Amino acid sequence: MTTPVIDIRFEDVRLAWPTKAGPPTVALDRMRCALPAGKVTAIIGPSGCGKSTMLQLVRGFLEPSAGEIRFVDRRSGQSAPRPPMATVWQGFNLFPWLTVLDNVAFGLEMNGMPKAERHERARAALAKVDLKGFEAKYPRQLSGGMRQRVGIARALVMRPEVLLLDEPFGALDAQTRLVLQEQVAEIVQETGATVLLITHSIEEAILLGDTIFVMTARPGRIAREIEVALPKPRTLADLKRPEAVALFEEIYDLLKDEVIRAMTGEGEAH
Amino acid sequence: MAGSTDTRVAPVPAAPRRPALRVLLDDQRVIGWGFLIALLAVWEFVVIQAQISPLYLPRPTRVVAVLWQGVTEGGLATDLGLTLYRIFAGFFIALVTGVLLGVWMAVSKPVKAMADILIAALYPLPKVTLIPLLVIWLGTGGPFMLTISFMGAFFPIVINTVVGVQQCEQGLVLAARDLGANLRQIVLRVLIPSAVPSIFAGIRIGLGISIILVVAAEMVVAKDGLGARLFVAGQLLDTELVFAVLLVLAVLGILITKGQDLIDARLGLWRTN
Repeated sequence: MTTPVIDIRFEDVRLAWPTKAGPPTVALDRMRCALPAGKVTAIIGPSGCGKSTMLQLVRGFLEPSAGEIRFVDRRSGQSAPRPPMATVWQGFNLFPWLTVLDNVAFGLEMNGMPKAERHERARAALAKVDLKGFEAKYPRQLSGGMRQRVGIARALVMRPEVLLLDEPFGALDAQTRLVLQEQVAEIVQETGATVLLITHSIEEAILLGDTIFVMTARPGRIAREIEVALPKPRTLADLKRPEAVALFEEIYDLLKDEVIRAMTGEGEAH
Repeated sequence: MAGSTDTRVAPVPAAPRRPALRVLLDDQRVIGWGFLIALLAVWEFVVIQAQISPLYLPRPTRVVAVLWQGVTEGGLATDLGLTLYRIFAGFFIALVTGVLLGVWMAVSKPVKAMADILIAALYPLPKVTLIPLLVIWLGTGGPFMLTISFMGAFFPIVINTVVGVQQCEQGLVLAARDLGANLRQIVLRVLIPSAVPSIFAGIRIGLGISIILVVAAEMVVAKDGLGARLFVAGQLLDTELVFAVLLVLAVLGILITKGQDLIDARLGLWRTN
């Protein structure tokens, strides 16, 4: 695919909901950050810090209460329309009444692509996630890890310029997660897409991220922006290298304080 | 690579050898049909032994004979066809309009507010009480029968459609939006399919009510159809024919229920994600 050229910028974004009594709930306040084109930005933070909210804002499913999300063409510096995006969900969100093949082809079908063509592309996407031979199965017949690989294929087949990963391994068991994390690191590297990864896992953020935003409890702010200098694509073995271990400790210390702050009720979880 | 870690292998338990009779007696269908046949045999035997008049209780074999005669000579098949036509014509109109209105109610708050109040008023009303009014408005011909079977099926289908659509997982709607589906596509390709099991539950209830209403209406006002035949046979003390018509209705009930069970089993893939 062509190299992505659109940077995504949060410019003083605020997102708040009015509550019946008392002050409004503020999910994000004065959020300023940039998700650079072609890079993987990982957002990590305690529950309720607004990290999934940021993904929904980028996707356009939520509108900021103040400020704006800008898409900027880095060649010209001009504002650009929202680039094509696709999301991989924590809960998979596969359509249970469609076969694996039709699930993957769903987005192409919505765009009006003829059946033969969309099925061919869906087959290729499934092969990429090692699911050749499972085209005619239904989601309920697959294990969690396989379902999420269908979810990944369903997003990749759209050839998105921006790939949104919303805690993609959150619903998987530990072993499956390890295997899939490495596989996704490889696939993401291959597509070259701009990636926003929302995660609870420090390892995952280091494994996949070029940049890691560590967020504070509500209202969500970026406590620290960390560059991950390790070469890519990374494997789980790389996480044992001294640089990675140092990164882990740094993020862990930041998060520990935030998690405790979130738990003691200063920012209630949603 | 990941395939090997994900694939779950379910161990197949080795079936222990058991005597053929035991296996046969464990089969639910064998038990069900065996019980029915035994019951009929006792019935036949008791009627012969106690010399009960066929005016009160005819023997099962006589009922079958009368039924056969009715089908071959008495036009019972035509009556069955008429009754089925009356049931299903109204039912299918109820299915289409019920699903459409249900989806519309589920996605539009004003429509739901307006429809809710009408449904709350009409749904609990026993529909047979509407027969006199409908006869005044529509007479006793085709439109009347169509309306009565429509009324029976419509409400359960609407209500179950609303519930089904509202229970649709929000994540599926988000996923469809993410993949570029517009509102029409979301309704047709996500909301309605995800409501199918619930709609089907409504169909089960609705079709049952339609059958009751059509046969009841035929008994009251019609000159043909199974209900009319049943009523006339009762008036003429033709108890054997009464039983024969009841038998047709019972078999019809079994066929419809079993047919629904078959479709239901195929819907299993909707239920678990």
